[in-house]
Amino acid sequence: MKKKLLLIIGLSLAVFFPAFAQNHTYTGTVTAKDDGLPVPGVSVKIKGTNTGVQTGDNGKYTISVPANGVLVFSYIGFTAQSITVGPNLVINVVLVPTSQQLGEVVVTTALGVKHSEKELGYSTAEITAKQVTATAATNVANGLTGKVAGLAVYELDNSVDPNIAIVLRGNRSLEGNNNALIVLDGVPMPGALLSSINPNDISDISILKGAGAAAIYGSEASNGVVAITTKRGSATNKPTITYENSVQAEKVAFYPKLQTSFGTYGGEGNYINGVTGFTEYVPYENQEYGPAYNGQPVQLGAPLDSANGTKDIVPYKAYPVSPIDAFFQTGITEQNDMSYSQGDAKNSIFVSAQNAYRTTVVPNDKNIRDAFSVRGHHTDGIFSVDYSVEYSKTTISTYIGNNNPLNTQYGISLPGSYVTTAGANDLYSSILQLPAFYNIKAFEDPNSDLGNASNYPDAYAINPYWIIDEARRDEQRDILLGQIKLAVDPTKWLNISYHVSDNFGIDQERYTKAEVDFTPYSISDPFGAGSNPAVFKSGKSPGAVYDVYQYGDGTNNNPGFARLQGDALVDLHPSLLKNFKTDLLLGNSIYQLYDKYQITGSSQLLVNDFYNINTIGGQPVAQEADYLVRNISFFGDLNINYKGFLNLEGTYRNEQDSRLSKAERSFNYPSAKISFVPTEIIPSLKNSDILTYAKFYGSLSQVGNINIGPYEINNLYGITNGFPYGSLGGLTAGTTNFSPTLKPEITTETEVGTELAFFKSRFDFNFSYYNSYDRNQTVPISTTIATGYSTSILNIGETQSQGYEFQVTGQIFTPATSKIGWTLGGNFSINNSKVISLLPGVSQLFLGGLDYAVVGQPFPLLKGTDFIRDPQGQVVVNSVGYPQTASALTTFGRTTPKYDLGVTSTWSYKFVTLSTVFEYRGGDVVYNSLGNSLAFTGSSYYSASNGRQRFIYPNSVIQTGPNTYVPNTGLSVQDGNYGFWQTSQFQATNSPWVTSGAFWKLRELNLTFNLDKFIKQTKYMKGLSVALTGRNLFIWTPKENTYTDPEFSDTLPTSGARGFSDINELPGTRVFGGSVKVTF
Amino acid sequence: MKKYISIVTVFLTIGMAGCKKDYLDQEVNPNYPSVTTPQYTLAGAEASSATILPLDYPEYGEWGGIWCFSGSYTPVSQFQEFAVSISVAPSPNDAWNDLYSNLTNYNNLQVSSESVPADANFEAIAMIMKAFDFEQLVDNYNNVPYTQAFQPSTILFPAYDTGQFIYNDLVKQLDAAIALISKSGASATNPGTSDIIYGGNMANWQIFANTLKLRLAIRQSNLSTNVAQADLASTASIGYIGVGTEADCQPGYTDALGKQNPFYAVYGFDQNGNPASGYETQRANIVASNLMKSLNDPRDSAYYQTVSGAINALQLGNPQNASNAISSPIGPGLIKSSSQPEPIFTSYESLFLQAEAAARGWIQGSAAAFYNAAITASFNAVNAQGSVTTYLAQSAVAYPTGGTLNQQVQAIITQKYISLNSLFNLEAYNEFRRTGFPVLPQNPASQDPAAVSQTLPTRIPYPLSELNTNTNNLNAQGTINIFTDKIFWAK
Repeated sequence: MKKKLLLIIGLSLAVFFPAFAQNHTYTGTVTAKDDGLPVPGVSVKIKGTNTGVQTGDNGKYTISVPANGVLVFSYIGFTAQSITVGPNLVINVVLVPTSQQLGEVVVTTALGVKHSEKELGYSTAEITAKQVTATAATNVANGLTGKVAGLAVYELDNSVDPNIAIVLRGNRSLEGNNNALIVLDGVPMPGALLSSINPNDISDISILKGAGAAAIYGSEASNGVVAITTKRGSATNKPTITYENSVQAEKVAFYPKLQTSFGTYGGEGNYINGVTGFTEYVPYENQEYGPAYNGQPVQLGAPLDSANGTKDIVPYKAYPVSPIDAFFQTGITEQNDMSYSQGDAKNSIFVSAQNAYRTTVVPNDKNIRDAFSVRGHHTDGIFSVDYSVEYSKTTISTYIGNNNPLNTQYGISLPGSYVTTAGANDLYSSILQLPAFYNIKAFEDPNSDLGNASNYPDAYAINPYWIIDEARRDEQRDILLGQIKLAVDPTKWLNISYHVSDNFGIDQERYTKAEVDFTPYSISDPFGAGSNPAVFKSGKSPGAVYDVYQYGDGTNNNPGFARLQGDALVDLHPSLLKNFKTDLLLGNSIYQLYDKYQITGSSQLLVNDFYNINTIGGQPVAQEADYLVRNISFFGDLNINYKGFLNLEGTYRNEQDSRLSKAERSFNYPSAKISFVPTEIIPSLKNSDILTYAKFYGSLSQVGNINIGPYEINNLYGITNGFPYGSLGGLTAGTTNFSPTLKPEITTETEVGTELAFFKSRFDFNFSYYNSYDRNQTVPISTTIATGYSTSILNIGETQSQGYEFQVTGQIFTPATSKIGWTLGGNFSINNSKVISLLPGVSQLFLGGLDYAVVGQPFPLLKGTDFIRDPQGQVVVNSVGYPQTASALTTFGRTTPKYDLGVTSTWSYKFVTLSTVFEYRGGDVVYNSLGNSLAFTGSSYYSASNGRQRFIYPNSVIQTGPNTYVPNTGLSVQDGNYGFWQTSQFQATNSPWVTSGAFWKLRELNLTFNLDKFIKQTKYMKGLSVALTGRNLFIWTPKENTYTDPEFSDTLPTSGARGFSDINELPGTRVFGGSVKVTF
Repeated sequence: MKKYISIVTVFLTIGMAGCKKDYLDQEVNPNYPSVTTPQYTLAGAEASSATILPLDYPEYGEWGGIWCFSGSYTPVSQFQEFAVSISVAPSPNDAWNDLYSNLTNYNNLQVSSESVPADANFEAIAMIMKAFDFEQLVDNYNNVPYTQAFQPSTILFPAYDTGQFIYNDLVKQLDAAIALISKSGASATNPGTSDIIYGGNMANWQIFANTLKLRLAIRQSNLSTNVAQADLASTASIGYIGVGTEADCQPGYTDALGKQNPFYAVYGFDQNGNPASGYETQRANIVASNLMKSLNDPRDSAYYQTVSGAINALQLGNPQNASNAISSPIGPGLIKSSSQPEPIFTSYESLFLQAEAAARGWIQGSAAAFYNAAITASFNAVNAQGSVTTYLAQSAVAYPTGGTLNQQVQAIITQKYISLNSLFNLEAYNEFRRTGFPVLPQNPASQDPAAVSQTLPTRIPYPLSELNTNTNNLNAQGTINIFTDKIFWAK
């Protein structure tokens, strides 16, 4: 699309010169090195003259050149090449793309309008299709990480349907959505739908970082924009077919360090040796505070089925394979892509189909996506039409986790376990707390003698294989993204267009959990342990089924909106004054968001393995809701350019939104931007070989942001728990106090920056500084229930988000000067967030979890309990040597990274290219509740670090009087085993489990072999390349973090809260594989 | 050419058609009502009240020698060790949240009914139940937000009032409610079936209010100035709760998920007949069990289920406690049926209050007669297997008529403690803190080697949510020491 657009511009401007008779006529084809496709519109000039032609649609050119003339081939985005003509009258040229040629890059801005980067008064970044798909990530977002300064992609978990959040320039909103707006071909779309898009359909992505870049998109864009442009047909007239296959494997890479020295004991009084006082092996425990492993045979659990049944005798020593290595499998992702494109100057069409099949490290989990798209363009005189339809069907099958959408989105509790009392174990937690002497594979069949629920030896945990076999969530998403744009260009100075888009999907989920029947022997609880089966006196745990049917964006987000939008745009660009280029855009945007869901289900199925709510005991669970949002806005954007070096832009927008009350509904916001390109005007710079390009820019912009859902202005009543009883109804006031006087949040951002290119763009440097203030934060603050409500939604306070972004690219070696090419890039951002004010007289707000907003501090701020310490900060132990929890809360640090560094590197040698992306994030802290859980069970390495012996709490002191402390040199903890790690206040205190959130990751590795030159003989094949790829191959974390990938968080992607990892997530993984790409 | 013009026209028409005047009016939530009726609010609030007493105070049961953590479960060690702080709060702290939520609904009902004379009965019940809830708050926390509560649009950080101030004001509120019923009760709308406690019997609500006043008065027996006691005479003619006028909540509990009697649902069995979590984790405590044993009290096997013919009770914090298989769970006198009514204010508690008031000379009547009637009512309530007459005839049980006031109070509170078992753990703990009775055969304090105190907590700390959301007003209450700070009426 880019090439073609420029071609049209180029043609209209091109000046053709007559050729001289004595010259020779040379012909040839210009192709691009990256995809091997012909490049239309390449300028072919004879050096030292103004004589030149352009390549046609098929990349071919014909030019008459005097003897020994030098031809210069140049095109935007490619390194110019000079070739001295010789006797061969055919000169084919392969152009090498420059990674980025500043000033000439065309950026897709608001509503799909393309601007030369020179004209922009704000910070943007461009990502090419190749960068996105370098390592064959199935989700577009994964292909963006580490590549742009200020852009943070959070991979929040590692499930078969992972949550991903894209945040630009850190958090602005205290509790609202901080995610960037995703725009597909000019139309906003739900961020969750990124996972439904075929990454291979993407032509390029523009990142518009700040509020200023997005003022024209409206309030949804206050956190920046990721604008995706999809592929259209090529203009070469020749049909092109591309086929690509990639296969990748995924393996567990990072999991907590576990102890392999001590077996089971959990505080049972009757398992204390009466003579020695030592604890003894407990055959049914899940806590591992027992005797050290000694290799002796022990009985695991109760005898099978009866008191005199078979006993499972195992050696009392760590099993050679850790339960994690044994349980998790190697996941496989295979993607097959096929695309077809064809076009000419007036018509183009692009058709693609993709099948992405993914299994993960969790056995039985699957994610299959089939995506089809058709996109085209047709021009007829002054009219043109551009359309695209994309349909995707995703089927997901996964185990029911504790954080399943039924629970997190709809508030219906359905744990993925049959246990109702002793706590419902999630999959990962039930594996992590397996004692090291268990051979987990012995329980692989949950219907076998050993693996069934009655015989499973651990009295307090359930067989993880039961979860993945018997508790399933099956989801089907049917998503349609359609749009059509009609444009009319009646005169040179006027375009009018109308753009309609409808993005919607249907999400169907079915949760099924199998009935479990217990043997009378297991219910009798032979050990008197209060075991899981003992709870089921009735003999069974009934099965469950829940069906969710949702019309919305096609995901299981509640609400996840379907979106119908119409944009009318009038673009006036008259030539009024000499040297001035003016462009006035006037527009109207109307959109409607709609979501409706229904849930029916029951946890009391009557018939074993028959999942239907027609056959249940008791009453079915039923829920429904629908949500509607409407928004109308009008906007104007005036752009004035003077002689190509000075650009002024002003925007103004009025927006009216149905989520706010009538009085507050309408709001306005402006922006002003300026850019100056000295290299275009200052004579000494104009043709400088050192400084090729320089731009300085600044902007001041404001944008409104609505951070409440629909209907969140009036107080509500809900059905009282238990009601109705017969015909008797009961209503209870909701616990949230809504306010009809809420106003939109207002973000005001100032931005300045520069873009510099040196040595013909061999070295590029970008810098930007931003400072934004967010007023009228719409925050659901926790209020004392004594006000009548536990939450009040208020406009309060102000936050500041300020930062620096650097982006550097250097071609250390270019293929033109050496055999080896090496391009090295770095991007670095520093973000400082600060709470400026909250409510009058209030210096701290509780945001939920362990997150707080504190005036003068970054946010969200992690605070929690610490030990009682002396004035020097040393831990004060009590009379039995244990640390004690202090009652005041301690500040641990911010939960979002302050620093984000990406390092990209591309080596090329002949037909081999090696590229890597490294990323560092740091300056934040994470609360690992995982650590706390593992100390409870005694399975963490940390809990065995003192050999379970008595020890003196490190660097502790003893209080001897008021304000007098002496170093603790002789008081050991009373019990270095169960007593310290589980029952003392150590485990329940937050501070031992807070670690740095820093990490280095090798995000991407790609080794590509471009085999084009080896297939030249074949008639039908135009290109062939083979690549080896890897993602998240290595992670390095500070020593203290032995728990999990600090990028993970148990929060939803729409929440700004981070820094809380828990035992309900899966271990971190690495992905590696290969791909083949063929062009016909 | 023409076709494009028509296409553009169609789209523009669609766009404009959408822009109707009320296009953006989407303020009404289609999913939940923003209005209610007095009937719905009353039924909902009363049903919520019935969940607080039986569910929110398990630790008072454990600390008070009534319940014990099962030997089969890892105890919540902090509660067993009395190592309770604001950040390790015991579950009675749920009461803070539950009571204020419940109060919000009664307050809304009171406010909305004030301006509608026909809703006077709803207003009166709301006032009475507010007093009932606020008394619980004071008994748990002493000073709490009262005058500044429930004003979310103007006061986000309500200041605390003293427990004494609140108690005194509750007396006024109860008098006002009694007067309101007398004045306009008959002419006003009767709550009827929406009143799931008294079925709209407003005379019974006056009796309930008057009995609550009596409880406020008795609770302040240690104080020299007792506003509640001074006011008793003004409404004495109304009388107090007795057999037949008990306040029992019965919305129509039935054996379905979420519709069971709340005590049964947590301490009995679920709708599938499987034991509920409370049944598994709470076992008989040796303190109350031995007290009953020493008095040959047949109620013990109603409160605690026998195992192999005997009650096997546990001792709080004892590391050697027996497992679930051989220890006694909560008994059949309390877990009768999933549709059993949930008592709010029982006749036996009222009769014990009257006995003490009579012993103190605050009301007319025979303390011994009230005492015997109370024990009889308690026997009947739990279907005790045994003769109440035989029981009362024992010298250790018989009312010490002619004894000192202290001896009489000791007898009353000892018997009251036995009768309040499990269902009213808060009230048992309150009376223990007020009078120091019963004198228990064992120290109920924890046997846990890590116990931080050998004495019982005298109060619980404020909840962590208050520290997070109402910091300054909480800090104004000073540092709470749970072993020395007392509720204002405590001994």
